[in-house]
Amino acid sequence: MTRVAVIGAGLAGLVCALRLAQGGADVTVFSRGTGGLHLTPGMIDVLGYAPERVEAPGETLAGWVAARPEHPYAQLAGAPLEEALDWFRGVAAPLRYGGDLAANMLLPTAAGVARPTAMAPAGMAAGDLRGGRRVVAVGLRALKDFFPAYLADNLRRAALPGGAAVEARHAVATWSPRPGADVQGHYFARALDEPGARAGLAAELRAIVEPGETVLMPAVLGMRASAEAWEDLCERAGAPIAEVPTLPPCIPGMRLNLLLTRALGEAGGRMVVGPEAVGVDGSGGRIDAVRIRDAARVRAVPADHVVLATGGFESGGVELDSYGAVREPALGLPVAGPPGGGRGLGPRHLDEHPLMAAGVRVDDRLRPVDASGAPVWGNLRAAGSIIAGAVPWREKSGEGIAIAAGHRAACTILEDT
Amino acid sequence: MGCDVLVIGGGATGLGVVRDAAMRGWSAVLVERVDLGQGTTGRFHGLLHSGGRYVVSDPRSATECAEENAILRRIAADAVEDTGGLFVTTPADDPAYADRFLAGCAEHGVAAEEVPVAEALRREPRLNPAISRAFEVADASIDSWTLLWGNARSAREHGARILPYHWVTGVLRDGDRVAGVTAQDNRGHREVRIEAGFTINAAGVWAGQLADMAGCPGVTVVPGKGIMIAMNHRLVGTVINRCELPGDGDILVPIHTVCVIGTTDVKAPTPDDLSIARDQVQEMLDAGEVLVPGFRESRALHAWSGSRPLFTDERADGAQDTRHMSRGLALVDHLERDGVEGFLTITGGKLTTYRLMAETVVDAMGEQLGDPRPCRTAAEPLPGSEDGRPYWLGSRLRRQEEVMPDDQLICECELMQRSRLEAAAASRPGLNLDDVRRVLRLGMGPCQGGFCTYRAAGVLHAIGDADGPRADELLLQFLHHRWLGIEPILAGRGMRQACIDDWIFQGALDVEHLPVTPPA
Repeated sequence: MTRVAVIGAGLAGLVCALRLAQGGADVTVFSRGTGGLHLTPGMIDVLGYAPERVEAPGETLAGWVAARPEHPYAQLAGAPLEEALDWFRGVAAPLRYGGDLAANMLLPTAAGVARPTAMAPAGMAAGDLRGGRRVVAVGLRALKDFFPAYLADNLRRAALPGGAAVEARHAVATWSPRPGADVQGHYFARALDEPGARAGLAAELRAIVEPGETVLMPAVLGMRASAEAWEDLCERAGAPIAEVPTLPPCIPGMRLNLLLTRALGEAGGRMVVGPEAVGVDGSGGRIDAVRIRDAARVRAVPADHVVLATGGFESGGVELDSYGAVREPALGLPVAGPPGGGRGLGPRHLDEHPLMAAGVRVDDRLRPVDASGAPVWGNLRAAGSIIAGAVPWREKSGEGIAIAAGHRAACTILEDT
Repeated sequence: MGCDVLVIGGGATGLGVVRDAAMRGWSAVLVERVDLGQGTTGRFHGLLHSGGRYVVSDPRSATECAEENAILRRIAADAVEDTGGLFVTTPADDPAYADRFLAGCAEHGVAAEEVPVAEALRREPRLNPAISRAFEVADASIDSWTLLWGNARSAREHGARILPYHWVTGVLRDGDRVAGVTAQDNRGHREVRIEAGFTINAAGVWAGQLADMAGCPGVTVVPGKGIMIAMNHRLVGTVINRCELPGDGDILVPIHTVCVIGTTDVKAPTPDDLSIARDQVQEMLDAGEVLVPGFRESRALHAWSGSRPLFTDERADGAQDTRHMSRGLALVDHLERDGVEGFLTITGGKLTTYRLMAETVVDAMGEQLGDPRPCRTAAEPLPGSEDGRPYWLGSRLRRQEEVMPDDQLICECELMQRSRLEAAAASRPGLNLDDVRRVLRLGMGPCQGGFCTYRAAGVLHAIGDADGPRADELLLQFLHHRWLGIEPILAGRGMRQACIDDWIFQGALDVEHLPVTPPA
């Protein structure tokens, strides 16, 4: 059995590991922490802005990568991306992800922006604003991460295609799973896994919602990796409800994390959370083992293939030191910094900051390459936001890159064995 | 609007002046072009000087600092944390300076005592172990905004009116007398005319510009710009000074949950230049390494710059009559100097001596008016400091524990509750998130606004203080202003946090597509 070590437990790492386990590989995920999915709103962005709002991501991608040969999608757009998303849709079936590459949805954010995304779980997709909609944003009094009046106010001014408009009002529900003025989202989510709690909230919603309205609620409607709580609440409230992701930790991302880690275990994969990858041993251009630092020692874990999915700056997959140098700390790979060699930071917060796109360059089999374009190791791949060339939060491209690269890395390993 | 005394400038000096004048029974008004404490007062390192820094280079300032330090510990206890201070001789310092330092302290009234190196290192384990000598002094850290609000509250209690966001557009003249100002009220969007029997220019680094407007040219206040960097932890619990002549990056001040290294000294082209040069950032980090090895590996949280008002008078030519005190504190008598009545300028100085500056200029005013009245500011505590108990690090946590079940925590890093934000908005309608930061420390902690910015904008919208477009503007403006202090020092975990924040604001909330034009 092929032994694969996947380093990192974010979306790219989990997708890669799951695909490998399904393909019969002996997979272990090594992760320093619990992975980044807890911080993400659970939508699957492929390309949202280029830089204008993208209506048809599949179609726009062709021109996008032609103009950006250094972008991760240059290796992933087309068949690899499409196959990966089809696979993901099947894996994530319990969350009922809808949407595809043909058209971006426009989903409300907690700040009331109509935000483009390619796919979303059914509970969020229900808030698609394309074509206009009548909504009532309903906050939960004890939840401080969702401001229904602000959301409604901005949605009324949102620019929608074809001049469509959102009619929005707001209300506040008082239901809470526990006493106190400041209750975290995960308490609401866990409580709403129980039908009795849903009955309490639904009673309030029935009194609030008017015919023809969609209820926009903070995305705390159940913690389990299924659409069950949301569906049941819609039924009990007698109205369509759409979840809007709030500040992290984001429950939809946690549900997806739960779903993927459980599927990985069921497929025979392992997860080791805590240890840190600090290097590799190898010869003849191939890695033999990953060096893993446990609490008190470094041990060599033999591996036939290695996938580096440690993320970008946000996850510590890439680091910037106080002198301005960028490095890849786990394996010491060559890093592509900002083009032109400057600091790559602009004076205005919402400017494009080229430094943010730093990472490792990869070839068409997602192997990290050196400055000459040659693979550093024949059996090492990279997946997710450690790959240079994208600023995913600006482009709204993060999950597309993560899923496509994780899936593609797994497929190329399975092809090699 | 009319008053006996008009004070221009809402920094520590101006607030000190308006309080002092009001306490002496004059009707007083203060105008500030932006928010109180938005200038140099809010842009320093937080050090309440013992005087030790100046015993060799500027003894008069040293004595003033030592005296005022003792007074502020009494009257502004709420703003002062009694950290104590150490002067240490590092391998990079001239070892001969230490004896000159000790002698200077003794001569100029600055308490200092040598402590064994082992004892200094026991107290401050991160301190450079290669130090050769250490001296204990009465340095402390002081929150300039707390000090400012205390002065403002006290001044109001004594009948003064304080008008932030009032930009002086012209100085009124009645023959040889300054008779008040016209100002643009940038919140009410109207011009106001304030007539005053006497006008005090406490505009700090902008004082030269104000004197020009009053027809008293040649008052030159050179902006001596310095940068400071706040580190994410209190690497030291005591103020640490290099035992050498004042230089760049020679002070490390523990204040609130951070410590601040300062500072550089570069002549800035204008007082409004707040840019942070990359080479100065590197210089500060190197200086930090001298005091605390491994400093560069710590997380830098935020950088800022401020300009010291360094006074020179083109007309004085070394004469003593226009400059009554040492270079630290400058009183300009425009009657003697320019033949202009009813107008005095007070500039120069340090935060530590703000009260003395106020006393000095109000005394001079009384003298000119032929109505000397005694100063009481050295004895009467500021509101909030009546019990004389100094600030301590756990005080915010204690308050949070009291209100926890009934209130929402909007800023976890700085323990800022929703009720406090709502109260601030009620007392100052139309405030922006930087105003909130100066009052309640919003966004000053480790996440640098990552979580609280959206919540604060949401709360101000929810209570009706901001409509949708205004809330959007507040949010984007605050994020941008935070960026100005983050970008120059981005590295390590700070870079990581900045990218996580971008995932939140751009990734999850898509704030760059809010239905407003991002503010300039």
